[in-house]
Amino acid sequence: MALDPRLSEQEVATVNRATAHGRTLASAMPRLILEARRIAATVIHGLHGRRRAGSGENFWQYRRFVSGEPAHRVDWRRSARDDHLYVREREWEAAHTVWLWPDRSPSMNFVSHLANDTKLERVMVVAFALAEILVEGGERVGIPGLIRPTASRNIIDKIAQAVLHDAGMRTSLPPSFAPSPLAEVVMLSDLWSPIGDVRASIAQLSANGAHGHVVQTVDPAEETFPYSGRIEFVEPEGAGTITAGRAETWRIDYGKRIERHRAEIRAETDRLGWSFAVHRTDRPASELLLALHARMGDGGANRWSRARSA
Amino acid sequence: MIAGLPLAFAQPMVLLGLLSLPVLWWLLRLIPPRPRRVDFPPTRMLFDIAPKEETPSRTPWWLTLLRLLLAALVIFAAAGPQWNPSIATAGSATPLALLIDDGWTAASTWDARLRAAEDIIVQAENDNRGVALIPLSETTRDISIAPAGTARVRLRQLKPKPHAPQRADALPMIERFATAGTDLETIWLSDGIDLGQGKEFVAGLSHILGQRKLSVIEGGLSPAHALAAAENAAAVMTVKVLRAETGSGESGALRALDLKGLSLGEARYTFKAGDLETDAEFQMPVEIRNDITRVEIAAQRSSGAVQLLDKRWRRRAIGVIASTTGDTAQTPLLASTYYLSRALNPFADVRQPESASAGEAIAQFVEQKLPMMILADVGNVTGEAREKLTTWIDDGGVLVRFAGPRLAASDDDLVPVRLRRGGRILGGSLSWEQPQKLSAFSREGPFNGMAVPTDVTVTRQVLAEPDAELSEHTWATLADGTPLVTAARRGKGVVVLFHVTADTRWSDLPLSGAFVDMLKRIVSLSGNAAAADNEVGDKQATRDVVPPNRVLDGFGAFVPPPPTARPIPVNFSDPPDAEHPPGFYGTPEALVAINTLRPADRLAKLDFSPLNARRDQYRIGEPQDLRGPILLTALGLLLLDALLVFWLAGGIARLTLRRKPAAAAIAIALLAGTLGAPSRAYAQNDDFAKKASTQTHLAYVITGDAEVDRISRIGLESLTLFMAQRTSLEAGEPMGLEIGRDELAFFPLIYWPIVPAAAKPTPQAMARLDAYMKQGGTVLFDTRDALETLPGPDGGSSGPGAMTLRNILSSLDIPELEPVASDHVLTKTFFLLRDFPGRYTTGKLWVEALPAADEDQGERPARAGDGVSSIIITSNDFAGAWALRPDGQPMLPLTPGDPRQREFAFRAGVNIVMYTLTGNYKADQVHVPQLLERLGQ
Repeated sequence: MALDPRLSEQEVATVNRATAHGRTLASAMPRLILEARRIAATVIHGLHGRRRAGSGENFWQYRRFVSGEPAHRVDWRRSARDDHLYVREREWEAAHTVWLWPDRSPSMNFVSHLANDTKLERVMVVAFALAEILVEGGERVGIPGLIRPTASRNIIDKIAQAVLHDAGMRTSLPPSFAPSPLAEVVMLSDLWSPIGDVRASIAQLSANGAHGHVVQTVDPAEETFPYSGRIEFVEPEGAGTITAGRAETWRIDYGKRIERHRAEIRAETDRLGWSFAVHRTDRPASELLLALHARMGDGGANRWSRARSA
Repeated sequence: MIAGLPLAFAQPMVLLGLLSLPVLWWLLRLIPPRPRRVDFPPTRMLFDIAPKEETPSRTPWWLTLLRLLLAALVIFAAAGPQWNPSIATAGSATPLALLIDDGWTAASTWDARLRAAEDIIVQAENDNRGVALIPLSETTRDISIAPAGTARVRLRQLKPKPHAPQRADALPMIERFATAGTDLETIWLSDGIDLGQGKEFVAGLSHILGQRKLSVIEGGLSPAHALAAAENAAAVMTVKVLRAETGSGESGALRALDLKGLSLGEARYTFKAGDLETDAEFQMPVEIRNDITRVEIAAQRSSGAVQLLDKRWRRRAIGVIASTTGDTAQTPLLASTYYLSRALNPFADVRQPESASAGEAIAQFVEQKLPMMILADVGNVTGEAREKLTTWIDDGGVLVRFAGPRLAASDDDLVPVRLRRGGRILGGSLSWEQPQKLSAFSREGPFNGMAVPTDVTVTRQVLAEPDAELSEHTWATLADGTPLVTAARRGKGVVVLFHVTADTRWSDLPLSGAFVDMLKRIVSLSGNAAAADNEVGDKQATRDVVPPNRVLDGFGAFVPPPPTARPIPVNFSDPPDAEHPPGFYGTPEALVAINTLRPADRLAKLDFSPLNARRDQYRIGEPQDLRGPILLTALGLLLLDALLVFWLAGGIARLTLRRKPAAAAIAIALLAGTLGAPSRAYAQNDDFAKKASTQTHLAYVITGDAEVDRISRIGLESLTLFMAQRTSLEAGEPMGLEIGRDELAFFPLIYWPIVPAAAKPTPQAMARLDAYMKQGGTVLFDTRDALETLPGPDGGSSGPGAMTLRNILSSLDIPELEPVASDHVLTKTFFLLRDFPGRYTTGKLWVEALPAADEDQGERPARAGDGVSSIIITSNDFAGAWALRPDGQPMLPLTPGDPRQREFAFRAGVNIVMYTLTGNYKADQVHVPQLLERLGQ
């Protein structure tokens, strides 16, 4: 979807608001410690154990060389500065990478009279808050196509700036990328794309074995279909229009249809071990955040999928 | 003007717009109502839903119909429809000739005619055309084309004529006029009634006008009815009601008036469809009927609808001539004249001869043109009298003769049948025959239909020579077949012979009611001869002219005779005209009525067919512009359409969905709008409540005395500080309360310093205070007057503060009070106290009286009721003792000034606060040792 100026303005406003809200929300959240279940071999209990030396890319600290160590570990440049031998330690790279995917497609700009926030604002708030919490907890957070995983302290500002300066398309589904097997993916989207696309997207994301959470963020109007009379429904992303003569008679069928849609998504996520939840924008954002928090924190995948409507 | 409907259009061409309706229909059918556009992200889900109903891509037919109707109405209104439109004129520039029928036939609907004429003149004025007003009755007038304004003035001066003008007389005038002008549009405001010469006029008009435009306005108004041939018949007064058109059935009422205009009676008439004339009958006693001078149609105002009756209608004068015998003079009540006048008087005028001689009497009666003469037992009439009599009979006179000894003896041929000389005596001493009864009335005679009386016996009669014609002449027969009444026509008259006397000598007949009826019927015969009667006296009558007394105008009202009215001969029988208007002529004693319509006149419909004319109708109502109502209807339909579209678009469902929040919003808006000030007050209250309820606060009552309030506030602040230091209660800053305004329920203890002579709070405030105390709050009243009270047991209540307090509390339900006893829980709630000093030490602390101490529990160290005393009264000025400056120095000196007094004052305050907060908890706590003891530890 090409970026049209009106939408982009809306997005700027939304992101600005969401930045503040996300921060507030995050401040009210407990520290999130990702469950370490899937981190093989180095299950360390207790506090987030990853702020320590280990195998990784980033510099962590210099320590004294201990005899018996392989000599190639010696950092000669550092060792040359005094009489001791130092070993350059790198940070333990067991940190999770969490890919957040807030859907910013035009359909997310929808807000009905039943809700106060657009879906976009809601997913941005949740994304920001989640990012903040995760970074706080030592994880790295990235947004596919926008920013690479980072544990930057001012993650919210980074994301916000990246979003604001993003000139690319706002697609309804995450771009194709390959998260590492240990990564977690959080999809915050309305998921009204055809089920085939959704399936393909999820399958693609999970191809490497990444774990994920799919949150369908919907407006209450999309849930309850409170329309009546002669109405022309317009798909905001240009997929077409349909005119209902008496919209109220469509309500039940519509309810069944979205149930089916969700059942299909859920079947896919269940198959892949992902979780799936539905969030309504008339519910507080903290509710979703808490649910995600709980889900990511303790990994009770089954419990998560039972608690469908977070 | 649409055929049959008084509807016209100002712009008929606009109606062509109706042709566009089919196109509109097609368009409307094609274009459905615009749906509401809604952005809806899951629209793709909707694609998969098979629509339950076919989406109406077309407008429902009834909506289309509604809109078409709407469009049609608008087109219709644009065409300028008019109900009862004005009579159309050609609208060209040619002068307009207005022929106006102004006879009496037009009178009853004169206003409508005038209005029509005025409409036409107004139109002519608008078109700037000259108008020639031609009333058809004024044949001598010179016609000229006048400006419309002048014509209108002249029109107003027109009055209908009481007579029926002969339209043909106006033809020369019209011809002169028409030949003078070149072009002309003629409108004939006709009444459509032909009273003779109608055909000639129509033909002449057609000839004169040739191809010029002619419109005939006729019909559309209630048709004129007329009266003619009023007749005071035997039992009823009949009058013929005429009309010109055999239309539908009509009916109406007639009114009979006397000379003074008083109503004597009413009669109804009914035209059946197809009738041109009908009879109306006044069923009234003849005496009343005789007073009728005027019969009119109640609903019609025209001279034709009036029949004037003069004496000719009232009575028939009958000359009665009896044989002059001496016994008449001697026994007048037995004379035949007496019987006859008695029988005739109800319906006829009986005239007695002035001279005794029968011959002279006859001559006199003939002279008086009496229609009927009765000769009672007059023998032979001879000579000149006889000639006069026969001439009179031949001219229509009715001669009634009664038999008698003289007639029987005479040889007279003025009898209907040949008589046998002498009489016949029945039932006499020399006769075997019985007196005969009347047996039958002949069918041919006037008596036909009368009941045959049974009380009539005939003892003597004259007999007719039996011959072949006898039965033809017989009107009544006796039981034996001999005639009782015979009659024969002579010329135009009739000779009737009663074969008995007019007195009771020969028969009972004069005593019988049948006698009156028979005479009545005979008298009514005589009326038929009235016309002939006139001719008899023609020569003489023409000499007598009578001046008009009062005449009818065209509307049928009596008016003084106009100057043009001329006297008429007594026997005037021409139709009335302008010089001889209908009305009464002659002296008031002998009025001669001239009626608009002669008895034989009939109304006929004027035949316009020879005229090559446009026909139009008069309008009854004012022209009404229908644009307003039609546009209003269209507007209503538009509204309906809007509602329907709203409904189709689901607006109603949306409304019901949104009703609740909307209603709430409206209510809130209303509240906010109308109660602006109170809402601010609420906001204040909210702040107050928030502040008061987030922390425990001590509170004091704002008395209005700034110093006292300051001391209260500072004192309580100090107490709060003290308690924060010594106890676990960290209360918020004290709050001042307006008893009448602020909510009290948040505060466990309210300190109320009494300012002497303070005004009593409002009853509402007292009610709130009462509620507060009843619901568990405690008020600490401080009269601060311990120094001023008198010593002694009752001194506490004598201070000024105490007086004020008493005044304040007088309206409250205050329980029994007592000074705090040494074992009261107040003395133990935090500190152990013996007394409760403030700035003064002499005052006592009063609380609600506790139940009397149980003797069994005498050892208990503390007593407490179930609740907290809702009222505590002191006079020691606690707040003054508590008040400390910010630097910790006391603000007010103490009395007597014991250094520990302030400490104890604070302790007293703490105890009181704790008491209000913890209730009797402490009373239980002080029992712990005993409880533990009981538990055996």
